[in-house]
Amino acid sequence: MVKSLSKRIGNAVALLLAVLILNFTLIHIAPGDPVEVLAGEMGGATPELLAEIRASFGLDQPFHVQLLTYLGNVLQGDLGYSYYYDMPVTNLILERIGATLLLVVTALLFALFIGTALGIASAQKRNSFLSHLVTVISLAGFSAPVFWVGIMLILLFAVAIPILPVAGMVSADTPSGSFAYILDVARHLVLPVLTLASIYLAFYSRLSRASMLEVLESDYVRTARAKGLSRFLVVYKHALRNAILPVVTFAGLQFAQVISGAVLVETVFAWPGLGTLAFESILRRDSPTLLGILFFSALLVLIVNILIDITYRLIDPRISAK
Amino acid sequence: MFKSNFMRPLSIIAPLAIAALLGAATAPLAEPQSGGTLNTTTTGYRTLNPGVQSGAATGVPGSQIFAGLVLIDEDYKATPYLAESWSVSDDNLSYSFKLVQGAKFHDGKPITSADVAFSLDTVKTNHPFGKAMFGNVASVETPDPSTVVFQLSAPIPGLLLSLEPLLMPILPKHVYGDGQEVKKHPRNMENVVGSGPFKVAENVPAERLVLVKNEEFFIKDRPYLDKLVFSVVKDSLTRVLMMEKGEIDYIGFSGIRPTDAERLEKTGNLTVTTEGYGAIGYIHYLELNLRDKPFNDRKVREALATAIDTNFIAKILFGGRTTVGTGPLHTGSVFYTSDVPSITADLDKAAKLLDEAGYPAGANGERFSFTLDIPSWAKQAHVPMAEYTQSQLGKIGVKVELRQAPDFGTWVKRISSFDYQATMNGSFNYPDPVIGVHRHFDCDNIRNVIWSNTQGYCDPAMDAMLDAAAVETDLDKRKATYAEIQRKAAEDLVFIYMPQDFTATVYSKKVGNPPASVFGPLAPWHEVYLKN
Repeated sequence: MVKSLSKRIGNAVALLLAVLILNFTLIHIAPGDPVEVLAGEMGGATPELLAEIRASFGLDQPFHVQLLTYLGNVLQGDLGYSYYYDMPVTNLILERIGATLLLVVTALLFALFIGTALGIASAQKRNSFLSHLVTVISLAGFSAPVFWVGIMLILLFAVAIPILPVAGMVSADTPSGSFAYILDVARHLVLPVLTLASIYLAFYSRLSRASMLEVLESDYVRTARAKGLSRFLVVYKHALRNAILPVVTFAGLQFAQVISGAVLVETVFAWPGLGTLAFESILRRDSPTLLGILFFSALLVLIVNILIDITYRLIDPRISAK
Repeated sequence: MFKSNFMRPLSIIAPLAIAALLGAATAPLAEPQSGGTLNTTTTGYRTLNPGVQSGAATGVPGSQIFAGLVLIDEDYKATPYLAESWSVSDDNLSYSFKLVQGAKFHDGKPITSADVAFSLDTVKTNHPFGKAMFGNVASVETPDPSTVVFQLSAPIPGLLLSLEPLLMPILPKHVYGDGQEVKKHPRNMENVVGSGPFKVAENVPAERLVLVKNEEFFIKDRPYLDKLVFSVVKDSLTRVLMMEKGEIDYIGFSGIRPTDAERLEKTGNLTVTTEGYGAIGYIHYLELNLRDKPFNDRKVREALATAIDTNFIAKILFGGRTTVGTGPLHTGSVFYTSDVPSITADLDKAAKLLDEAGYPAGANGERFSFTLDIPSWAKQAHVPMAEYTQSQLGKIGVKVELRQAPDFGTWVKRISSFDYQATMNGSFNYPDPVIGVHRHFDCDNIRNVIWSNTQGYCDPAMDAMLDAAAVETDLDKRKATYAEIQRKAAEDLVFIYMPQDFTATVYSKKVGNPPASVFGPLAPWHEVYLKN
């Protein structure tokens, strides 16, 4: 297991390097000039100032020089300097990554547990009211655009029935660092998490339902039933362990998608995370910041996938044996 | 502390009691109250120092943190602020300011004439309009700590307007004068030391900016508010919902659409106003690249202007909440004139003009086609105006292809490299036309820079008038010159002016004394208070 894991980590590092080069190249060939944006935001600038800004960020160098400088800096732990915010990208990302992780991990765990529970429940009685309800909710959740779901939830739970805040991570008057602050953040977290989880909730409930239906039909489950085991043991000990494997696999694969989903959710809910930062960086052509965010996202996805790999082996010992 | 809290109710009750005793028949005027937190929003800022960055994102909080020498009232008159008095020499080449005694920065150090001199130099060098505003300031003298004298090489008629905190914030020399580049100085965002009515208590750029009352502010008993909280909210719909729910007390530059205004007013708790933007003067226009065919022909431009009914746009698309623009100056400017050649919308006449210009309708009815760029910003205004233009011009055989810019950078690149045919555009006048208007018409300002003379207009007669207006100190003569400039711009059809922007401030009815000068939300909020 250790050997295969170290191989996996080795692959991950190579992949990360490829991601860095690909992202840098893609952003470089995209139209738009960060210097023009900066000058525009300043209200205008002279051609001399444009040249000066270009030189100060090394943008006057040929592409290969810029790429090699960038890779060299990243290897030394320096993700560059934000054109727009005038500060190191690493600091900018570290300031916001906590808010995004809080949102993304809570939403993913919520979708995973509730979605799986709903899927399993509906699989056991496939033609029941609950089963149909889960199907309908899944379909709706999967088809509705995430920003629309967000705005509808705000209208319902913050405006029509004002029990939750409209947006932000904390109320204006809550002092930082207090216990009240934690509670306030939790209250602000509810609607964005529900919005982000809505798509994945639908997905996991469908997936776990299908997987469970298939497993429940298999011979070993019939044998378990024939042995006279209780329904609980048959479903949750014997069937679930196998039925959950595709769900775990997809959780890893989807982590990247949840992060990208966070871009819209964070914008709608004014959530101070990486999503809004990514959105702004694209609009402002702040490529070092965008590259930094992409690097961090790739890193997170790789870490989560390695963790999923370990979990996978724990659930299904056959994989480690192979 | 006890004393001030004890005295506060008395100071409110006493005048009311006297009025009652005198048998005053009219209702007593509301007395400003101290205390409370005002909740507002920001779309985010890269620096809190308005001395090195223009725009509302930095300007709104910046004017609370930093003081200026003067304030500008509703009539564009300068009133004392950090400068308690000033005098101007007969030749208008020397301005002497006397600073308020005992004024201090937020770290307790005194504000002196040396700080004023340092601030002017910083702004002149670093601010995008620094040269336009203070290019003619030859030297700054500091005969004593409370006196500062500006010596000019040529008159600057709008000098006092440029001494508002927004445009010339008084910066601490002992902080920014350490040799580091002020534009990138770390203290623009961390541990900011200002001179204004509010101090920075918490600055989390992704989340919120908290400003608290400067207890040692140089105006006694001001500000009224204890705290200002700027929550970072980028999405305009989210802002509307927050306002509707009462989570926000006040927003300037709200970014709402006219339809949102109606919805917000219906709540009964909110006031929506477009007042307070005179000094900013946000105007919209259709910019045509004058270098190439067909727009190098004035007749074609006249045909386009005749086909577009800007009254329709103002009344229907903007819900009647904005005014039709007639020229480069905003209707709120003291130099504005409506006495310019006007064009009445008439499709038949427009078609005839195109015939005359040599663009007859082809077999398929088409005369010519062009691409109209739509900027990524202010979409709520640009998109409906562009779509309406497309539809109107289609009626006279001009095919318009709309090209929506995916982001700011793409649009800026196209326009500033003159690689476009036409674009919807808009810009700010700023308090003096020298800053915001001249840049679009000066022959020597045809540069690869956005919001310069990108359309490529050059006329020596116009240049001569602009040069004369820039140094004219007699207000009436200056007004007359700007009236001529506006007539010339209309005659030459340099731009096709659209209705002015619907820039609105939204505030709760519990907000007292909302900033009412021509700088509106960009002025200091030391007089703002919360009722009850």
